[in-house]
Amino acid sequence: MLQILQQWTETSAFFIWLRESPSIWAYPTVFFLHTLGLIFAAGASILIDACVLGAVPQLPLAPLARYFRAVWIAFALTIASGLIMLLSDLTRLDNRLFPVKMGFVAAAIVLTLVMRRRVERAGGSGVTRLCAAVSLVCWLGAITSGRYMAYLQ
Amino acid sequence: MTEWWVVPIWKTVHYIAAALVVGAAGLVDLRIFGIAKGLPLRPLQRLMWWAAGAFVVAAVSGYALLRINSANSLGPPINIAFAAKMLFLVLIGLNDILYVTTGLKREVDAVAAGESTSVSARIVAGVSLALWVGVVYWSRMLTFLAGAI
Repeated sequence: MLQILQQWTETSAFFIWLRESPSIWAYPTVFFLHTLGLIFAAGASILIDACVLGAVPQLPLAPLARYFRAVWIAFALTIASGLIMLLSDLTRLDNRLFPVKMGFVAAAIVLTLVMRRRVERAGGSGVTRLCAAVSLVCWLGAITSGRYMAYLQ
Repeated sequence: MTEWWVVPIWKTVHYIAAALVVGAAGLVDLRIFGIAKGLPLRPLQRLMWWAAGAFVVAAVSGYALLRINSANSLGPPINIAFAAKMLFLVLIGLNDILYVTTGLKREVDAVAAGESTSVSARIVAGVSLALWVGVVYWSRMLTFLAGAI
């Protein structure tokens, strides 16, 4: 499976262009879209978590759920650009921190899904607060492991 | 010599702070555009105090990174991405100063849950959003455009 994938990305004109082109519109642009999506998705999620935990008094929590569509769009951009960068260099899969980062991201997605429904219905109950706190930690973990990934090989 | 793990610590701090700044600006700007209309703007705009604190952290960590890797600085030789990033940050500062001094912020503070904002507020929010996307763009280009000119 991995071999077929490897063969495809090694011979595909798109991935060759992405790897080898010195153009600012090649790899740097995909990397930019990844950073942009990530910075908004993570930043907005962390702040929504902080609001659920009571960081901004007098702010009603239920309408916050409306933000999640924008967060998902940013998130989709991050995943798509991340996948393209991963396919352009499959050796990233060997990075020790890669599964750690993906673990944090997967946990953050699940928690966000759970939290969204709860926030919409009831605002900030005990379980919702717990989800917010753990999701906040997951986002911080995802960013930290993502940054360290670039320095470990 | 700087240990290998020092740079990623500063970068992690810089990233998290930047995410909070851009996230807060994005959430307020989106509300001004009418997304999550159920939120009253006075308490929501308090997020900008968090953003201001995060901005200080981003500035300090950014300065530390600059000291470690001088290729990212204004030079010589000039890094066009760094110069553009600083210019965009100055423009964001001017946009925010105008937002407060013209009384527009106070007007937006009075926008309650379910109400719409004025056209001028939407313009300022649009400029803010576009400039922040620009700051992220130039930040990402730092390493790619170092020594381009």
